[in-house]
Amino acid sequence: MNKNVALIRRTPGAIVKRNEIAESLVTPVADIYETVDAFVVRLDMPGTSNEKIKLSIDPDRLSIRAAVGTLHKEGTGFLLSEIGQKAYQREFNLGDGIDLDRVEAVYADGVLTITLGKTDAMKSREIRVN
Amino acid sequence: MSLIRWSPTRDLAAWPSDIVEMQREINKMFDNIFRGERDESFASSSWVPAVDIAEHDDEYIVKVELPGVSKDDVKITLESNILTIRGEKKQEKETKKENLHRVERLYGTFQRSFTLPSTVKSDKIDASFRDGILHISLPKAEESKPKQIEVKVK
Repeated sequence: MNKNVALIRRTPGAIVKRNEIAESLVTPVADIYETVDAFVVRLDMPGTSNEKIKLSIDPDRLSIRAAVGTLHKEGTGFLLSEIGQKAYQREFNLGDGIDLDRVEAVYADGVLTITLGKTDAMKSREIRVN
Repeated sequence: MSLIRWSPTRDLAAWPSDIVEMQREINKMFDNIFRGERDESFASSSWVPAVDIAEHDDEYIVKVELPGVSKDDVKITLESNILTIRGEKKQEKETKKENLHRVERLYGTFQRSFTLPSTVKSDKIDASFRDGILHISLPKAEESKPKQIEVKVK
């Protein structure tokens, strides 16, 4: 038998009704990497959707907020509840060199990818040695 | 004047509650390591996705948070009431190592197993992926559905 098994025991009180779980604010984990002409921020935000994500950007700050829809029917009894009810929130301070007109965001497979285009002055250039 | 024997933990009561809370967490962590049970984070899996298991009259609904995991990289098996979800989260191809500024997301293999409380119709299990959440519905077998029994009071 698999030794990695977590047993669910049917003990009284083990079942929690959905409406007893309070919504919590979660900081989504993020990866940030740089390409020749942009910075890319990738955040794990499962369970939300395009309409629920609110992105705002000004020269100093990128801010991300997203509600998570109801994953279960009202009054559902749980044997295990780790996902909970939550909303995502995160802010990043921005440095110089981001072109606010070249910011794009795509949400797919529970991952939000934000591409922050660099200003021309920030783009790396290859310098030829003569 | 009376002498009081010094106890290293006596002053704990006066500590801020966060520190006491932290100590409790650390104790719990050690307990889990030495008991070697239940805490899957110390098992071979490199990360542990969050799971909800809901029970309805006619089915179990399992939801697993798997953001950025392709459906081809997930395998679900059911063996004598043990549901196992395993797979791998791969780093996106365009991410180049030399230009990483921050890496918080976890990659690699994961595995979680659960013993379901009652039998399910193994041929009617349905799974789908939406917005990074894997939904699995497991209809209960007829004999394990709740039945209403009328009791006549004489």
